[in-house]
Amino acid sequence: MRMGGLLAAPAVLYMVVFFVVPSLILFVYSFWTAASYRIVPDFVFSNYLNSLMSPLFWKVTINAILIGLVTASITLVLAVPVGYYLVYVSRSQVILYLILITWFSSYLVRIYAWRTLLGTSGVLNTILIQAGIVDTPVGVFLFSRFAVAITLIHIYLPFCILLVVSSLSEIKKDLVDAARDLGASPLGAFFRVIAPNAANGLVGAFMLTFVMVAGDYVTPQMLGGSSGQTTGLLIADQFRKTGNWPLGAAQAFLMFLVSIAIYFAVMGLGRATGLVVKRRPIGKAGG
Amino acid sequence: MVLKLVVWSILAFLLMPLVIIVLFSFHASPSLSFPFAGFSLRWYAEVLGNAQLGSALLKSLTVAGFTALITLVLGAAASLAWLRLGHRGRALLEVLCLTPIALPGLFVGVSLLVLFAQARVQLSTVTIVISHVVLALPILIVAMRARLALFDRSLEEASRDLGASQMQTFGKVTLPLIAPTLIASAILAFAVSFDEFVVTSFVAGTETTLPMYIWSMMRRTVTPLINAISTLALVFSVAILFIAWLIGHLRRRSAVAGRTVS
Repeated sequence: MRMGGLLAAPAVLYMVVFFVVPSLILFVYSFWTAASYRIVPDFVFSNYLNSLMSPLFWKVTINAILIGLVTASITLVLAVPVGYYLVYVSRSQVILYLILITWFSSYLVRIYAWRTLLGTSGVLNTILIQAGIVDTPVGVFLFSRFAVAITLIHIYLPFCILLVVSSLSEIKKDLVDAARDLGASPLGAFFRVIAPNAANGLVGAFMLTFVMVAGDYVTPQMLGGSSGQTTGLLIADQFRKTGNWPLGAAQAFLMFLVSIAIYFAVMGLGRATGLVVKRRPIGKAGG
Repeated sequence: MVLKLVVWSILAFLLMPLVIIVLFSFHASPSLSFPFAGFSLRWYAEVLGNAQLGSALLKSLTVAGFTALITLVLGAAASLAWLRLGHRGRALLEVLCLTPIALPGLFVGVSLLVLFAQARVQLSTVTIVISHVVLALPILIVAMRARLALFDRSLEEASRDLGASQMQTFGKVTLPLIAPTLIASAILAFAVSFDEFVVTSFVAGTETTLPMYIWSMMRRTVTPLINAISTLALVFSVAILFIAWLIGHLRRRSAVAGRTVS
């Protein structure tokens, strides 16, 4: 036990110094003020209040939430069949490694790939023109919410699939087989047996994807054009361009609160629709 | 059958952009669209002749190497601790590891920037490595945790009962058993660091890593040169993944062999 503490100490210390402490400093910063490029220790709520009263902040935050919700939903819907296939139908190593390859292929490269695919002289447009479907290049592919969404889905889908696989792995195939024997269709078996049992894991996968997507500011910046302003970009710019770090810190924590609020909203929605149920011990009613 | 079709369409969606990137890296003309004007290696020749790119690559390799090394040492100790810790110790480690994974890189990046500014630390290669370890260490510990659930502590006890010292037990029993997984995880830490962009952009100061160089090119223009760099990065990632898989695979085989002997 003492030995264990000693061995864990370096890693714990490292994470405390370089993760916990910085987060706390950032929190303290959010109450400070910035005056003419200098940061002054203070204790004011103006960073929070100013952000909450700024129409721009709400506009970009709603944009980030919308992009996050739509993208995370589509990502989960795409991830579930792949996860289901990998867990219950075939433990195909080929598919697993193809997913891992996309997961480990560079983040920026994938953004760049969609940029070349969707551009006015890009692959998609040239194919559409040659097929005679359109006469002039479609401009809205690039620099639109569509471009941002499809790229984010592409970037985070492998991650989401791996989360879905791990949450489905906890549910025994016997349960699915039993449901099928009792006459449930594959979709019925999924919605009535797997989904309720895996609900916590699936909600977890959705939320993690949401947080990653809503916080991703590079993709909207590269592919979103004027519609690509998100809270993440606003925060990043406070730390890079304008230099009002306390304001950026406050906005980072507001974004964090928004994510928590959305988590509770999703859980509440799940309970209301009966998809998420509190796990009861086996033997008692329900299950 | 319908499911299989759906799964393969989704995989096609995942792979198609990568295939297009690789295809156009061999394009004879600077255009990035069809019709395809024939194959050429001119962009790869340009990559090799680019000195800035070379120094960015070297920087990335250095950072990733140090990140993997530090992560390996800290993570190895934490993994050994994991076997010995009680519930509360494990819970603490878990919270410390899972929280940074569940936060966007932006949050980690700006909080580290604020820390370095407050401590008056000059942004440099060192701050990049420090930051990358924050991202890689949790991933290594989480990956190790899954493997260590299968670890049989009675092997250590047997070794002690047979008269081996604590150090001998560690060197001859524990370490050989967990080493392959540790090395595979360290390779993943290398891959994470090599590709990291968001956090790096806050803590790099004037240093340029490969992703930051690619970013600066991407912002300016769209050229098959970026495709060639991307293809090389892709090949590199796949190679890393393959090595990690190979080590894991050998481990499984040796574990099976060990079981038949005993």
